[in-house]
Amino acid sequence: MSNALFAGVDVGSLSTDVVLIDSAGATRAEVVFPTGINGAEAAQKAYDLALEQGGISRDQIKAVIATGYGRAAVAFASGKTTEISCHGVGAHHLFPDTGTVIDIGGQDSKVIQVDGRGRMLDFSMNDKCAAGTGRFLEVMAAQLEMNLNELSDPRHVSGESVQISSTCTVFAESEVISLLAKHTPREQIINGLQRSIVNRIWSMVISIGIQGEITITGGVAKNKGLVTVLEEKLGMHLNVPDNPQTVGALGAAHIAQRGFKDE
Amino acid sequence: MRDVGAPALMSFRDLTRRKSRPVPEAFGPPLRSNKRLKEILGRHYFLSRYVPGAKKVAWVTSGAPVELLRAFDFYTIYPENHSALVGAKKNGAEYCSIAESDGFSQDLCSYARIDLGHMLSGKSPAGKLPRPDLLFCSNNICQTVIYWYKTIAHELNIPLIHFDAPFVSTKQSEADVRYMAQQLLDMIPILEQVSGNVFYLNDFETILSRSQETSQTWGTILQTMRAKPAPMTIFDAFGHLAPIVSLRGLPVAHDYYNILLEELEERVALGIGAITEERYRLIWDNIAVWYKVRFLATFFAERKMNFVTATYTNAWAETTCHLDVKDPWSSMAKTYGQIILNNNLKHRMGLMRDMIKNFEVDGMVMHSTRSCKPYSVGQFDLRRALGAELNLPAVIIDADIADERVWSEQQIQTRLEAFCETLEDAAHV
Amino acid sequence: MIPNRSEYLKQQALQGQKIMGVLPALYPKELLWAFDILPAEIWDPPGDIVKANRHLQTTICPIVKQSLEFILTEPGIVNAGYLFPHTCDSLQNLGSQVKDMIGVPVPVYTFYNPKGNFNKATRAYYGDILNEFLQVLADVHGPPDIEKLRAACELGLKIDGRRIELQQARMTDRLSLNSQQYFQLIRAAEFMQPVDYLYLLNQVEIQDEPLKSHAIRFLISGILPPNDMTLSFLDDLGIGIVAEDLLAGSRRIPIATLDPPADPIEYLTDRFFLLPPCSTKAGSLDHRQQYLKKLASDSKAQAVLFNIVKFCEPELFDHRSLVKSLKNEGLPVLSLETELLPGLSGQTQTRIEAIVEMMGDEVLA
Repeated sequence: MSNALFAGVDVGSLSTDVVLIDSAGATRAEVVFPTGINGAEAAQKAYDLALEQGGISRDQIKAVIATGYGRAAVAFASGKTTEISCHGVGAHHLFPDTGTVIDIGGQDSKVIQVDGRGRMLDFSMNDKCAAGTGRFLEVMAAQLEMNLNELSDPRHVSGESVQISSTCTVFAESEVISLLAKHTPREQIINGLQRSIVNRIWSMVISIGIQGEITITGGVAKNKGLVTVLEEKLGMHLNVPDNPQTVGALGAAHIAQRGFKDE
Repeated sequence: MRDVGAPALMSFRDLTRRKSRPVPEAFGPPLRSNKRLKEILGRHYFLSRYVPGAKKVAWVTSGAPVELLRAFDFYTIYPENHSALVGAKKNGAEYCSIAESDGFSQDLCSYARIDLGHMLSGKSPAGKLPRPDLLFCSNNICQTVIYWYKTIAHELNIPLIHFDAPFVSTKQSEADVRYMAQQLLDMIPILEQVSGNVFYLNDFETILSRSQETSQTWGTILQTMRAKPAPMTIFDAFGHLAPIVSLRGLPVAHDYYNILLEELEERVALGIGAITEERYRLIWDNIAVWYKVRFLATFFAERKMNFVTATYTNAWAETTCHLDVKDPWSSMAKTYGQIILNNNLKHRMGLMRDMIKNFEVDGMVMHSTRSCKPYSVGQFDLRRALGAELNLPAVIIDADIADERVWSEQQIQTRLEAFCETLEDAAHV
Repeated sequence: MIPNRSEYLKQQALQGQKIMGVLPALYPKELLWAFDILPAEIWDPPGDIVKANRHLQTTICPIVKQSLEFILTEPGIVNAGYLFPHTCDSLQNLGSQVKDMIGVPVPVYTFYNPKGNFNKATRAYYGDILNEFLQVLADVHGPPDIEKLRAACELGLKIDGRRIELQQARMTDRLSLNSQQYFQLIRAAEFMQPVDYLYLLNQVEIQDEPLKSHAIRFLISGILPPNDMTLSFLDDLGIGIVAEDLLAGSRRIPIATLDPPADPIEYLTDRFFLLPPCSTKAGSLDHRQQYLKKLASDSKAQAVLFNIVKFCEPELFDHRSLVKSLKNEGLPVLSLETELLPGLSGQTQTRIEAIVEMMGDEVLA
């Protein structure tokens, strides 16, 4: 039993993440791999890479839980769970006092309420439009001719800000174009964009209610500027994992382990 | 008939405090009556702070038969006004998101979301609104107000009186009038109970005839804009609409419009226009874009274009001819049941055709607003039909009354500029 | 067993049947039957929206848009006119658009449904509206035959009675239909001849003993049921929809059976005032909350699914308060927004699976 290992595979729209844990819950391997157009293939490759990274043989893995939009395509998985449950469990594992999880992914954002064991109590999810997701920021970064890292710089959110009022991604993009045409400093535009996305997320958080500590997961959690503004708006500290984008896979691995124990 | 008179109505405090902004060259001298308007509305909202305990407060929709409430001495507050004010201050998104975070969809009317945001948070740019003892709504402006008001009734646990106004698909039937009149009569015992006041028919008749006179004066005021140049713009009229909406039936509104009419007639006699050069005359359709009134007013004034008429400023003058003190109940049913938003599109088309002809209008701007389905569904067809029949250039802008998050300045500016070019081309042919 | 809607109507038209296109939702079918008119309801006709975009903004609900698209492209089966019952602001204006602005080769009728909290005046008025509508139909189709009208009401009464029995059977797991089959059965009322439909309803077997219960029991509320793909996805997950509060479903069936009609107008008035609370009638929120809570407890539902049509104001307003009160009762609530397109998005799948996981966890705990 001691060398039993468990895998979580999160096939998202942008990246496929694999986390391997041992029976003590310690992470043994962690891989982030671009999903591309074939989720099944990406899952297989990422999984192989993780095994290789950990120096682990396939038969040591006792259970694999697949999650994310491509979860149904992971042929080698022993089960599948939604990323909503997985982010709850993963966040709880990293920060045991977590009561609320904010997961901002590329395509959607969710707020999840969890109990003392990381089990989901309630959740809310953004509507179909891209406002309040990573995609919104990507579009804006492209318009500002900068990469996401530059855009995330927390220095941009400390000074003056312009109001980006449109929530629609297309309209907001045209607002940015016209602000640039008026020679508005880019920092002010970035500040405005961060505040616009935070307003959307804040609304979702309030709608479901805050309990316990808040942990932020998903790729967008790496955006330091956004985290700063969100903390300001909520008046609370946010737990930010070192690798926020692999929290879903981590949660999946823990669910794999739990399920294995239950059997 | 959705209310539009809010900004002038409640932002007076700000206006008196801060130095007035310079009037751009494109505009003529401002109206003297503005000052009086601010005093009247200022007093009304100032007094509202001291109302609880002294009078019962009713929250009322803009199209409701408020004369009946006046007979019981209710202090009336118009949430639509308040939401328009919030919108004009560009705070719409903030209030809306309070309602959204409480579970209201962002696809709902922004007046309603702002008001619910106000109810949930207690926030208001007008200081503090007195808590209602009674809610009074009529679906003659939209079905939305029933949902909005019944939500407040549910949250605050207070009585709601709803006046059901059947939509006029072809013409108002005798049964429609009977039904509405009966509803009004049935309200009397409830209003007596909530207000603690007794209903006196004599008082009610006085209020009714005062209300009718006021509406007629308002109609005459709008008619002064047939003059070339028009003595005020429709953007001014949005502000001066406030008393007819929210103080209708009270002596103060009655007297105010006589003063305003006098000034406008004087301007017409002297040939003073609202804009320095009026080359084109326009009609506005639908409620204002509250957070962009200044932008739009300046945009058109700079191009020597003036809005001389609008479908809704007219709404408070259009059907009051039916009021009859001798037959109050049925005549109120006719007055309130047939207003533009409770009437079919054929009726609206006829009304707009007349306005375009009488006011010698050269072009039409329609605001398609997400918030208001009764006002917006059908605009595409109205535009085509009026355009074809009267050879009238027209443009539709897609925006919202009070939620600034759906405004796309670039798109709208391009559309409006193209419209102006068409208008100028048409004039040169 | 259930005929295809467009094939059925095509056949009816070929046989010379008078067919009236009817928009959602509440109207006195029996009056139409008495004039030998078959109402064919238009809710969500499939197909791309092309022509309707010339007349309607992008922020208008898909029922309104799809209905207009249907009206603009209809091949001539609808021969006795269109009827627009008063349901919401958008359908109200659409009726006027079609009648006054766009124009169609058949007559356009409207029917006002009173709004708000009903009282004696409402009742008297509803009787007046019925009589007016009867007169309007008589002007075109000849004087009404009162015996025929009474017979139509009796037929309607039988259909209502059977529908109530089936609803009860559904709640108590005595129907061997999956969700997809159940909703097909309910929605066949939208286009079938009443005699055919009653026959169909009577064909459905009600078991004496409850069948195996579903893994998870759902109550559904909204305008329409989810599309077939979503329903079969729910079926596959072991979710059983044991009760429904849909405008296209039980909100059009009285909450109790009535006496046989002596005076048809009185009968139809009674029937209208016995319909369950519904957003489109805009009655009190308390009333609707209580009704839904009771429906959930009667059907032993473990969760509530709201299937919301995008931009539907009546439903969206009530939704917020209903969700709150149901959650207070400890019932998990799942809200799905639909634009009435076929298919099932990954996001919708995730939402549904997540609520199942959430409830599964609760069961484990």
